[in-house]
Amino acid sequence: MIQLRAAGWRYPGGSRVGPVDLEVRAGELVVLTGPTGCGKSTLLRLAAGLLQRHGAGVAEGEVRVGGRDPAGLVAAERVRALGFVAQDPEDQLVGTGVTAEVAFALHAAGTPTEEVGPRVEAALARVGLAGHGGGDPAQFSGGMRQRLVIAAALAAGARALLLDEPLAQLDPQGAAEVVRVVRGLAAEGVAVLMVEHRLEHVWDHAHRLVLMDEGRVVADPLLDIAALRPLRLRPPARVDLDARLGGGPWRRRPEAPRPVPPVAAGAAVLDLAEVDLVRRDDWRLRVAAFRVGRGERVALVGANGSGKSTLLQVAAGQLPAGRRRAGRVVDVPQDPDLALFCPTVREELAYGPREAGQDPDPMVRRWARALAVDELLDRPPQALSRGQRLRVAVAAAGACGPHLLVLDEPTSGQDLGQVDRMFAGLEAELGDAALLYACHDLDVVLRHATRVVALADGRIVADGPPRDVLPRAGLPLPDLARLCLELDLPHAPTEAVAAWLERR
Amino acid sequence: MTDPRLRVWLLVCVCTLALVVESLPALGALAVLPAVALLLHPQVGGWRLRILGLYALFAWSTAFSQALFYAEFPRTPLLRLGPVVFWREGALYGLAQSLRFMATLSAGVLLAVSTPVDRLTAGLVALRVPYGLVLMATAAVRFVPVVGREWLSIRAARARRGRPAWRRPPWALLRLELSLLLPLVARSLRRARALAESLETRGFDPLGGVTGPPLRATAAELVVGGATGLLTGGAIAARGLFWAYAAELWYHPGLRPLYAFVRGWL
Repeated sequence: MIQLRAAGWRYPGGSRVGPVDLEVRAGELVVLTGPTGCGKSTLLRLAAGLLQRHGAGVAEGEVRVGGRDPAGLVAAERVRALGFVAQDPEDQLVGTGVTAEVAFALHAAGTPTEEVGPRVEAALARVGLAGHGGGDPAQFSGGMRQRLVIAAALAAGARALLLDEPLAQLDPQGAAEVVRVVRGLAAEGVAVLMVEHRLEHVWDHAHRLVLMDEGRVVADPLLDIAALRPLRLRPPARVDLDARLGGGPWRRRPEAPRPVPPVAAGAAVLDLAEVDLVRRDDWRLRVAAFRVGRGERVALVGANGSGKSTLLQVAAGQLPAGRRRAGRVVDVPQDPDLALFCPTVREELAYGPREAGQDPDPMVRRWARALAVDELLDRPPQALSRGQRLRVAVAAAGACGPHLLVLDEPTSGQDLGQVDRMFAGLEAELGDAALLYACHDLDVVLRHATRVVALADGRIVADGPPRDVLPRAGLPLPDLARLCLELDLPHAPTEAVAAWLERR
Repeated sequence: MTDPRLRVWLLVCVCTLALVVESLPALGALAVLPAVALLLHPQVGGWRLRILGLYALFAWSTAFSQALFYAEFPRTPLLRLGPVVFWREGALYGLAQSLRFMATLSAGVLLAVSTPVDRLTAGLVALRVPYGLVLMATAAVRFVPVVGREWLSIRAARARRGRPAWRRPPWALLRLELSLLLPLVARSLRRARALAESLETRGFDPLGGVTGPPLRATAAELVVGGATGLLTGGAIAARGLFWAYAAELWYHPGLRPLYAFVRGWL
């Protein structure tokens, strides 16, 4: 269904992606993975015919979708041939309502008006959104919005689906919903090519994994997970442990669990009391008391809509609610672009210290090194990748010397290796300043938080050490986190856990 | 819910009348009606004072600059400050321009905030506006508030990383405010690219047509739309006849009451 033969793209500067040979058959779900910047998204846009029509560069080789060149299709043919879904569902919706959004492709394909309604319903049912035709996408969760985008992409009967990191902005629950839908579509005979680096979500569902590096396919299919390690890509923890330990024994519970070390918090850098905030849609955040002590690393966990981001906004002083006493608080929003406004990375990091009347150079050097952006200092922040922009935003906030650093989803769009490096840098530079962050990735929480606050429906439902709170937070635990909790191991990369288990 | 075609039609009438009418009381009424409706709309919420401030600033600055630089004759001095003269006719001309701006802006923003995007799209499509334009308009309506929120977020992020913006010289403040354009433009470009890719693969054709669910106007809506159309058409016709008389192209003695009405009220 989707065929690339010696296909590639040559950019005007001379850099090149390809040549690549790849085939996705009808009913097959193929996941294309590889390190950031290896050319996965370029290849996907080539397969969709987007680069050939609008990109600056030269296409090489041959691309076929359903036997035809996608770049040569007119609009009505294109919408019947393929669907394309990108990372952020918010940016892909025109905003015309659920039904109109799905009907868009049907109108474009010239579907008779009387057939549009039933086909919209059928498309919504395919992605598990039956009955939501009159809903408002703005009220949907991230996973629902991404499923709506998929329904809109396939409504006109496309038999090929191309997805560019569709899980990157979603929480684990939303990601699982989207993967389930995509797998179902493949079972119906749709050819699915998905670019993704969050392998734990797709590992069990993909028919084939394809590994890319430096513009080329280096493994198709990927059979040996050892090929992922040099590229700093991580397979799901249990797969990695099975591969390292021969399978099985790591699942057994040890005889004597080790005690959990107590968490000591210093003087308060944030003290919230009697927070009662009601939104227009009657959703309510109610927190009787919430305190963050000096040196604490506090993670907020909870499902979408539980109130994590709202509580962070109250903590940062953006939303006035209840009584708030705080030292200097600097925050980084979920979208790092909203925290970057200087022409270069150097000026971005220097802004805070300079405003405080300090010599900015030492802080710029320290925080640039800590967040691994020291080689990007003279580049404009807006020209960097999303992961780099996030690190620059965090470094710029840290360079202000806050008593409390607030981060909203600092792991989104980053692989675990990048996240570990970021937290190691923060740990090295924050000292006794506190860190408060919202996070969906419970592996990260277990590894880096000293305290976890679980929220549900706008209330704090559990607060304490990660090992006490996570098992009763009502959230699905990832394999590695569950294993480390069961074995009472300190959370560590799978190789360290495997080595510990082997020693036992 | 009101037929979106009527809402678009009312906007067109307000904009047309704002161009045709020259009398200050009539322009004032034309500006006040949509402005009050906008300020009373619940979506406007905490922006009421800012909108009022914006209107006052625009009216004052336009009247002030026109009073200072008015070059037409006849003109009468309103105020002399040494060699600088403020002209009465200039101030009135500036006030009329600002009322035109307020009328069209208020009506446009009122339409945008009070009409769901899907209804607006349906209305424009039913009015046979080219689909490419409809999509551009609806995307703009959807993303203007988003960009506004992002602008406030970036300013807030900047404020938390440094001194309050006002505690610096005017040129530094201006440079700081202008620096916000860079992230806003970069973010908008990324969003535009994502939306464009999504639309293109969903078969968007700017020259193609699109069908939508049929819209039905109530009798009351038809009456309001018809009356507004008659009022606007009448104003255009009256202004045209008056222009022909003033330019000495055509005169009819039986229309003298009309000429007097146009001179006094239009």
